[in-house]
Amino acid sequence: MLSYIAKRLAIAVPTLLLLIIISFLLMHAAPGGPFTQERALPPQVLANLEAKYGLDQPLWRQMATYVWGIVSDFDFGPSFIYKDRTVNEIIAQGFPVTLTYGSLSFVLAVAVGVTLGVFAAIWHNSWLDYLAVGISIGAQVLPNFVMAPILVLVFTLWLRWLPGGGWEGGAWQYIVMPVIALSTSFMASIARITRSSMLEVLNSNHIRTARAKGLPERKVILRHALKPAMLPVISYLGPAFVTMITGSVVVDIYFSTGGIGKSFVDSALNRDYAVMMGVTILVGALTILFNLVVDILYAWIDPKIRY
Amino acid sequence: MVIDATKMKSLGDRLAAEEVRGRSPWADARKRFFRNKAAVAGLVLLILVGLFALFGNSLAAWSNEELDFTVMGQVAELGGPSFASGHYFGTDDLGRDLFARTVQGTRISLMVGIVGSAIAVVAGTLYGATAGYVGGRIDNVMMRTVDILMSIPYMFVLILLLVIFGRSIAMLFVGIGLISWLDMSRIVRGQTLSLKHKEFIEAAQATGVPTFTIIRRHIVPNLLGVVAVYATLLVPLMILTESFISFLGLGVQEPLTSWGALISEGAGTISYGTLWQLAFPLFFFIITLFAFFFVGDGLRDALDPKDR
Repeated sequence: MLSYIAKRLAIAVPTLLLLIIISFLLMHAAPGGPFTQERALPPQVLANLEAKYGLDQPLWRQMATYVWGIVSDFDFGPSFIYKDRTVNEIIAQGFPVTLTYGSLSFVLAVAVGVTLGVFAAIWHNSWLDYLAVGISIGAQVLPNFVMAPILVLVFTLWLRWLPGGGWEGGAWQYIVMPVIALSTSFMASIARITRSSMLEVLNSNHIRTARAKGLPERKVILRHALKPAMLPVISYLGPAFVTMITGSVVVDIYFSTGGIGKSFVDSALNRDYAVMMGVTILVGALTILFNLVVDILYAWIDPKIRY
Repeated sequence: MVIDATKMKSLGDRLAAEEVRGRSPWADARKRFFRNKAAVAGLVLLILVGLFALFGNSLAAWSNEELDFTVMGQVAELGGPSFASGHYFGTDDLGRDLFARTVQGTRISLMVGIVGSAIAVVAGTLYGATAGYVGGRIDNVMMRTVDILMSIPYMFVLILLLVIFGRSIAMLFVGIGLISWLDMSRIVRGQTLSLKHKEFIEAAQATGVPTFTIIRRHIVPNLLGVVAVYATLLVPLMILTESFISFLGLGVQEPLTSWGALISEGAGTISYGTLWQLAFPLFFFIITLFAFFFVGDGLRDALDPKDR
């Protein structure tokens, strides 16, 4: 097991470095520097500024400093637009928000999706099964940026139950719609995957044996069917996580929740490259970490995987 | 007489007679596809949406750039869908005809989807087939590269690209093309591995056909089924990606538009009571995605009858 984890880490570290280097080089390929303004600065001032931010150094040196700053101090450097704020401060402001509704959505999507999928498979061809299939087909074409306005239309404009946006320190009224908008399509995908893998497992030989020796159906499902049926679901969690983080950008923009997605889009519109890179690298690191966890979980559940 | 005339005649007849028509796997698949009602409905919808994109402009009473000054400022009251004013889908908040805008958005969204998917088909198939067929260390390096690229949160990198190199459709195509082929290459590689040891490949190798020609002439044609199914399912994903970026205002820029941009505009103005601004683009978006998914599923079932 340890050597398997080590092997996965050996892939994860270069991936992250590659991501940092790609985004760094992209930033340098951008036309204009961070201090290019409508009124050109006097050359001496520009030279001083560049010296302060280390921009007069050769490219490899700048890159090394940047990477080292991240690796040793987790420091993404100063923002290019807000002269008095660092990238770390900007990220630290939005990250807890994203984490709150993101983890809630994730838990909700997995819990409801798996439950729905399992029951749809157990009561195959019942109304619940058809409902689950219907929902999962429908949710496929309702991504978060479509769900968000529909939810606002129904719950804010028609029913007037929930506020249309804001965060207010995470009061529940402000969390409900972001969580629903973010989790629906994953819930549907998880339900679909669970249902089909559960159906397959329920038709396999070891389940027939378990039934033949007279185990109660509840035990057959909980002890023998659930675990193997979860494997495809677990391997879906990695990509789901990435899409969910991406979706949080929409939630932040549409519901004005103020998470890191907001900082990302703002910086994209302001050309604040430092913040963009910081968020991209952070998200990349989280993704890689999460994939690592998923892989380990998978190896732990599936006895067929040799490490 | 050495040659029996009657026997020769019957042989001649048999050679002249039309051969019993064999059923190719493709003909079988076509038959199964057309028996699948959802898939056929999807296909019909797609054709209709395609016709709408191609010829919708000649039905429109207004062009997508004209501003209707009579409704400007009172869009919620006067800009609704009506045949009398010629705004079949209503107008947007600037008084532009939503019908013409939707036609334009449909064109661009479909184009992005199809081009993105086409890049995936060409690049992914060649890459995957090469990796799978050559095998060994090269395969290992090639597929590890794909693994690494896949674990990068591509939407963020794509936005980074768009911001740095300017938000243009060309850049959008490059960005979407860069990521779309990864999944395809994995699927194709898996399929190639199973084809590699078939007799007809061995025969080609034995007669000295060069490696790349084997890939091109013998491997790739046998991959077509999988590739066709996956490409159909990829088009809606590309449309989703583009719409997502345009929804954030980072994709297609004015005066061009796309479904994502239109949905974003509509979503931004629902509180003013101009619901049609959201409803019409959303309708086209949803039925097209549905249609692509149904056609893709239908194709998969048709080409792989055992998997049902």
